[in-house]
Amino acid sequence: MKAFETFHPIVLFSFFVAAISLSMFFMHPIYLAITIFSAISLNIALRRQLFFKDWKLYVPLFFLMAIINPLISHNGQLVLLYINGNALTVEAIMYGIAIATMIVAVMLWFSCYNVVMTSDKFIYLFGKVSPALSLTLSISLRLVPRFRHQLTQIVQAQKVIGMDYTTGSLWHRIKCTMRILSILITWALDNAIDTADSMKARGYGIKKRTAFSLFFFERRDGFVLAIIILLFVSNFAASFIGTTTFYFYPTFGAVKWDIGSILFYSSYFALLSIPLAIEIKGALKWRSLKSTM
Amino acid sequence: MQKNMRLIISLIVILVLIPLTLYAGITIFADRKYYFISIVIIFLACVPFFLSFERRKPQPREIVVIAVMSAISVAGRALFIVTPGFKPVAAITAITGFSLGAEAGFLTGAISALVSNMFFGQGPWTPFQMFMWGMIGFIAGLLGKTGIMHKKIPLILFGLFAGVFFSFGMDIWGTVSMYGVFNWKAYTLALTSAVPFMIIYAVSNVIFLLLLERPIREKLERIKNKYGILQ
Repeated sequence: MKAFETFHPIVLFSFFVAAISLSMFFMHPIYLAITIFSAISLNIALRRQLFFKDWKLYVPLFFLMAIINPLISHNGQLVLLYINGNALTVEAIMYGIAIATMIVAVMLWFSCYNVVMTSDKFIYLFGKVSPALSLTLSISLRLVPRFRHQLTQIVQAQKVIGMDYTTGSLWHRIKCTMRILSILITWALDNAIDTADSMKARGYGIKKRTAFSLFFFERRDGFVLAIIILLFVSNFAASFIGTTTFYFYPTFGAVKWDIGSILFYSSYFALLSIPLAIEIKGALKWRSLKSTM
Repeated sequence: MQKNMRLIISLIVILVLIPLTLYAGITIFADRKYYFISIVIIFLACVPFFLSFERRKPQPREIVVIAVMSAISVAGRALFIVTPGFKPVAAITAITGFSLGAEAGFLTGAISALVSNMFFGQGPWTPFQMFMWGMIGFIAGLLGKTGIMHKKIPLILFGLFAGVFFSFGMDIWGTVSMYGVFNWKAYTLALTSAVPFMIIYAVSNVIFLLLLERPIREKLERIKNKYGILQ
């Protein structure tokens, strides 16, 4: 029932590039509120239980990062108190909280990215830009589970001949582990040459590489991509004009509430809530289909 | 000709693109965007290596050997998942660099980072990891030409250096550029918080280098001589 995932990889990738780079960029309180709100809601929509488990990590991280800034920065005019002659200022505390919000938001966006952009989509996208590199990447990605499988086989075979790496003295264990690793590497390298020769025999490098994929660029992909680009450009323009700048030092700047600024704020919100809107639309459609059944 | 290509691309990136990013960072986005700019610069710094690899149309044998070495270091990282920081990735990358050269070293490190994060989760640390492990492989490749890297003392020194280097990029640069405060207090705070990791990185590098250098080198040399690749 995940609607956003079904879009073309280029749409997904552009969204995350836009969301993550803009989130890293804007330190304006309104923009931070928008990005953390959207990131949390998309996380809940995509990951549910997993997200609630992650809180144990994010909350301490948030506070840890928030307290570092007042320790190293003593700028600002609103002094709370002096510690060893160094000022503890409201500005430094707020800036620490702003940085912590930004980093947590970026990490939340990345955890959505990890759910949505699976490795096959990434390799599909970069296969066009950089074929040799993405081939290396995909071979490597495939080899990891294969090595793990081979590793269990080697371990079992070694156990039978008395080279059990889980028992014996420390030196014995290290010796057995090294032996297992060494067998794996020999096997892997010789296998690799076989693979390479087989690739060459089948004509690798003669013509352009083709790739099997199930991704089609449909009209809805074009539509969403156009919206993402449009909103990204408008946010870029906002940062050029200065709507997104907010000063913490020497003291807080003012948050603007004129029509133009509110429009820019809403364009940022619109950009970041695209996946959530798609998810909600998908869920509603599913519900209405179920009720008519 | 291939070497020139990389030189030209590197020069363009180092002399034009990186200063341009810095200039844009200072003038247009005046308000402490060091973290974002660092990530962009790190990403740009990886581009010349990838581009030159792409442009010289590598043979399948080279591609597969690099893929195998990256996969081994990723599997090693997965094997040591319970010990934070204590990972064989840098050591395996360095050994690949010693035997197969600077370019293969860089690619092994960078691809190990990218692939292992596909298993463990991508984050803003991915470009830093790619560049740091890549550079460890690259420097190892340059040092490998001297022919002394199979001796114990150079290996220990290199392991310590790689640990400090990696920690500098990942922890110190990461924290300082995140807060954008450049004073001694910030450096000392970042350094003290990074020191435990630095020690773990360095110790694990030394241990893995000493244990793995000879067996992996022999195997890579054998493959190199037997099939005549990456000479």
